[in-house]
Amino acid sequence: MPKNEMPSGALVLLILRVLRSGALHGYAIAQRIHVLSSEVLHVEEGSLYPALQRILLKGWVSAEWGISETNRKVRFYRLTPDGLKQLEAELSGYDRVNEAIQSVLRTA
Amino acid sequence: MSQLFRRLRYLLNRRRFDRELAGELEFHREMRGGRPFGNTLRLREEARDAWGWTWIDRLGQDLRYAARKLRQSPGFTITAVLMLALGIGVNVATFGFFNLMFLRPLPVRDPGTLLHFWRQAPQNLADNFPYSEAAFFAEYSKNLSAVMAASGARLKIGAEGKLLNAHFVTPNYFSELGATAAIGRLLDPLQREGPVVVLSYPFWRSHFAADPSIAGKMIHLNNKPATIIGVASKDFSGLGLGTPDLWASIAQQPYFISGSDLQGVQMWGRLRPGLTPSVAEAELASLAARLRQQDPKDIWENETLPSQPGGYAATVRPEMYPVFAIVAALGLLILGAACATLGSLLLARGVSRDREIAIRISIGAGRIRLMRQLFTESLVLAGLGSATGLAMGYAALRGLMIWTDSPEWLNPAPDWRVTAFALSLGLAAAILFGIAPAWQIARQRVRATKVRQILIGAQVAASCVLLIVAGLLVRALNHAVTTTPGFEYEHVIAVYPSLQGYSPVQAAAYFDTLRARLSHVPGVESISMASNPPLGNRWTVDKANVAGQSINIHSNHIDPRFFETMKIPLLRGRNLMPGDTQAVVVSESLARVEWPSQDPVGQTFSKDVVVGVAANARLVSPEDSDAVEVYHLAPQELLPSMVVLIRTSGPVEPLVPLIASTAKSIDPLLFPEVQLLKSSFSHKVDQAGYATLTAGVLGLVAMLLACLGIVGIVAYAVSQRTKEIGIRMALGAKPADVLSIVLRQFAAPVIAGLLVGIGGAAVLSQILRGQLYGISNLDPIAYLAAIGVFVMAAVLAALLPARRALRVDPMLALRYE
Repeated sequence: MPKNEMPSGALVLLILRVLRSGALHGYAIAQRIHVLSSEVLHVEEGSLYPALQRILLKGWVSAEWGISETNRKVRFYRLTPDGLKQLEAELSGYDRVNEAIQSVLRTA
Repeated sequence: MSQLFRRLRYLLNRRRFDRELAGELEFHREMRGGRPFGNTLRLREEARDAWGWTWIDRLGQDLRYAARKLRQSPGFTITAVLMLALGIGVNVATFGFFNLMFLRPLPVRDPGTLLHFWRQAPQNLADNFPYSEAAFFAEYSKNLSAVMAASGARLKIGAEGKLLNAHFVTPNYFSELGATAAIGRLLDPLQREGPVVVLSYPFWRSHFAADPSIAGKMIHLNNKPATIIGVASKDFSGLGLGTPDLWASIAQQPYFISGSDLQGVQMWGRLRPGLTPSVAEAELASLAARLRQQDPKDIWENETLPSQPGGYAATVRPEMYPVFAIVAALGLLILGAACATLGSLLLARGVSRDREIAIRISIGAGRIRLMRQLFTESLVLAGLGSATGLAMGYAALRGLMIWTDSPEWLNPAPDWRVTAFALSLGLAAAILFGIAPAWQIARQRVRATKVRQILIGAQVAASCVLLIVAGLLVRALNHAVTTTPGFEYEHVIAVYPSLQGYSPVQAAAYFDTLRARLSHVPGVESISMASNPPLGNRWTVDKANVAGQSINIHSNHIDPRFFETMKIPLLRGRNLMPGDTQAVVVSESLARVEWPSQDPVGQTFSKDVVVGVAANARLVSPEDSDAVEVYHLAPQELLPSMVVLIRTSGPVEPLVPLIASTAKSIDPLLFPEVQLLKSSFSHKVDQAGYATLTAGVLGLVAMLLACLGIVGIVAYAVSQRTKEIGIRMALGAKPADVLSIVLRQFAAPVIAGLLVGIGGAAVLSQILRGQLYGISNLDPIAYLAAIGVFVMAAVLAALLPARRALRVDPMLALRYE
C-alpha cells in the first residue's frame, strides 16, 4: 500500500471535516481519514499530533476525556463553533481553488 | 487574544498537558498493535513545539547549567562580577546624576505641563523678565492656565546681619505646584497679604531649631518686620535646584529691598491641557508685541519667548554637550576596558573547558546550541554585574548627595530609567565580552590568537586614553597651582556693594566716599572697579570666530586704575582715560589672532579704537586658554553694578573686617559682600582637583583591569607552550629567548593599542581644551608620563606570569602527556 502524504494545511481541513459528525480521539481521526479515503491517505502520527496541538491552540477544537471502545480513558477532540466556521471558510476556499485547477486541467 | 490565553494556560499546566499527550500517544501505539510507530519521545517534543514554549525549557536548562558552572569556579565568578560592576557602576552613577538633573520630573503637581520661558530678540537673549511683562502675560494669556514668576535675593536676617537666600514669588507659586505646608500655611493667591514669609524646611530646622509654634512669629529681614506664616513641607522642591531659605510674595520685594525695580524675574507657565508649547510661545510673542506699544523701553523689538520644559531640576543647554560627551566617553571607556579584560578571561577559561566542549559536541550538541549555552553564562554574569553595579552607582550617588548637602527631595534611588539603563548596559557588555569567546569556544578554536590579540589591544587602548586624560588634568592642576594666572589675586579683596536702587550719580558719590575713606587705611595700596570682577560669578562672553579659530571674548568694564590694581602690565599703547567712550584695550592673545603682523594700536575692534594692549590675564576662567579679554571704560550708567577691587601690601585677612564695615558705614541699608580673590581661586582649583582625582582613579582602575587581563593571558600563553619551552630549554635556549617566545606575540597588539589610545586621547582631549589652564591638550609630558606608567605596569603584569616559563623543567615538560 503506497503511503500518500499530504500537506499539513489539507490535513487540518480533513481533521476538522471528520470531527464535524462528532468527537473522536486521535487514533480514530487517523483511522477515519484512512478509511474514508478508500485507504489512499495515510495520516502519520508524526504529523497528526502536532497538527492537533496547533488546532487546539487556535481554538478550533476542544479536548475532553472519554472512554475508548477498548475501555481506556483517552482524549476526545470536539469541533468548537470557531472550528466549524473555520471549516466552512476552508471548504469554500478549497472548492474555489479546486474548480480553478480543474478548469485549467480541462482546457489547457 | 484568546489564543494568547490558551498559550498561557498551557504554560501553567505544562506538566499535565505533557502527561496527557504521553498517554494519548501510548494509546495510539497500542491501537496500532505492533505495526511500526515513531519514537514516542520525539513525537511528544514535536507536538509540544506547536505551543511555542520550548525556548523556556531550553533557557531554564541553560540557566541552571550556567549557574552550576559559575558556582564551580567562585574565584573567576567574583572577579568577573566585580569587574563588570565597576564598569557598570561608574556609568550608573553618572547616568543617575544626569537622570536626577534632567530626566526625572520635580516632585510638583503635573510637572509635564510646566514651561520655563526666556526672552530672545535678534540681538538679545535673557532668562529673566521685567515683572510687569510676566504680570501682563498672566493677565492676558489664554493658552497658559497660570503664570508664575520668581526672583532671588539676599536678605539680612535679624540684627547680626547673617545673609540668607530669599525667593520672591508670585502668590500662586505654592498652590500651582501643589505644595503643602509642614506647619501653618503657605502664600494664598486669593488674598492680598502684607509682609509675610514662608520658611523652607531645612532653614526652619537649622535656624529656628524646628520650633513647632513658629507660625505667627515675627522676624526682621533687612531691618523690616515680617510675619512667618508657615513652613513648606520637606519634599517641596520649588522650581529648580536652589531651595531658598524662605519665600515671600513678589509684591513685597520693594518693601524688603528699597529701590528694587523687579526687572529680573524668572518666568514659568502652565500649559492648558492638550496644547503644545509652540502655541503658547506664539501667543506670548504677540502679547509682547502688544505690550511693547505701551512700554517700548522694557520690551525688545521682535521679542520672542522660547520655552523649555519647566518641571525639571535643570535643563540641558547646548554648552553642556561637551561635558556630557567627555563624562560619557570616560565612563564607557572603563566599561570597555572591563569588557575586554573579561573577554580574554573567558577565552582563557575556554581552554580549560576544551574537553567538556569536545565531549558535548561528540554526543550531538549543535554549535548554535552550544554558543547559546556559553552566551547564557555571560548573560548571567552580566545580570549579576548589573545588579552589583546598580548598587555601587547608587552608593556613589548617595555619598555625593550627603557630601554636597543636597535637598532631601533629590532622591538618588534608582528609578525605572536607571534600572533599565543598568540592565541594557549589562546586555551590551554581555554581547561585547561574551559573543566572541562563545563563538571561538563553540567552534573549538580557542587557540586562535587573533581574537585574543584584538582584546589585548582594546584593553590597552581604553586604559591608555583614561590615563592620558588623567595625566593632562594633573598637569593642568599643577600648572594652575605653580604659575600665576596673569593677574594678582593673593592680595586682592573684592567688595560687592549691591547698590540696588541707586542712580548712577548716587553710585558715583558712594564710590568716591569709599575710595576716600579706604585710601587712608594703612596697607591699602590700590583701589579700582570692574563690572566683572576677576574670579567672580559674573561674566560677559561672546563667542567669536577669528581667523578660523573659535575664541571666547570676555569683555569687562573697568576704571583706569584697574590694570595697576590687578598688576596686569600694559604691553603697548596707553591705558584707558576718563572720557574714552570709543576706546578699547585688548589682551595680547586677541591682538595676536586679530592682527597677526600689524600694530594693534589704532586698529578698530567692533566700532571701538584699540588704544592699548594688555598682557593676557584670564580673569574669569583661568582654566580656559581660548579666552581673550577686552576692556572698556565703565560708562556712568553701569556704576551701580560695579565691584570694588582693593589691593593690599600685606596679608589681606586682617583688613577684611575694616573694609566691610567701611563699605557699610556709608549707607547702613546696604549689605556689601566681601570676597577674597585668593579663596575664589583656591575654590576653582579645588574643583579642578576633584575632577583630576576622579579621572585619576578611573585611569588607575582601567590600568588595573588591563593588567589583570595581561596577567591572565600571559599565564595562559605559558601553560599552552610548556612543552615547546621545555624542548627549547633542553636544546640550550637562554632565559631571554624563552621570555621572548612567550611575550613576542603580545608586542604587536600592545603597540597597536597604544597608538589607538594616543589617537583617541588626542581627539577626546579636544573637548577639554577650555579646562586645562593653558596646558595644550597635546602636552607631550602628560602623554609620555601616562604611556610610561602604563608600559611599566604592563611589563610588570606580563613578567609576573612569564617567570613561570623560566622555571619549566625540561624533563617534566617533555614527559607531560
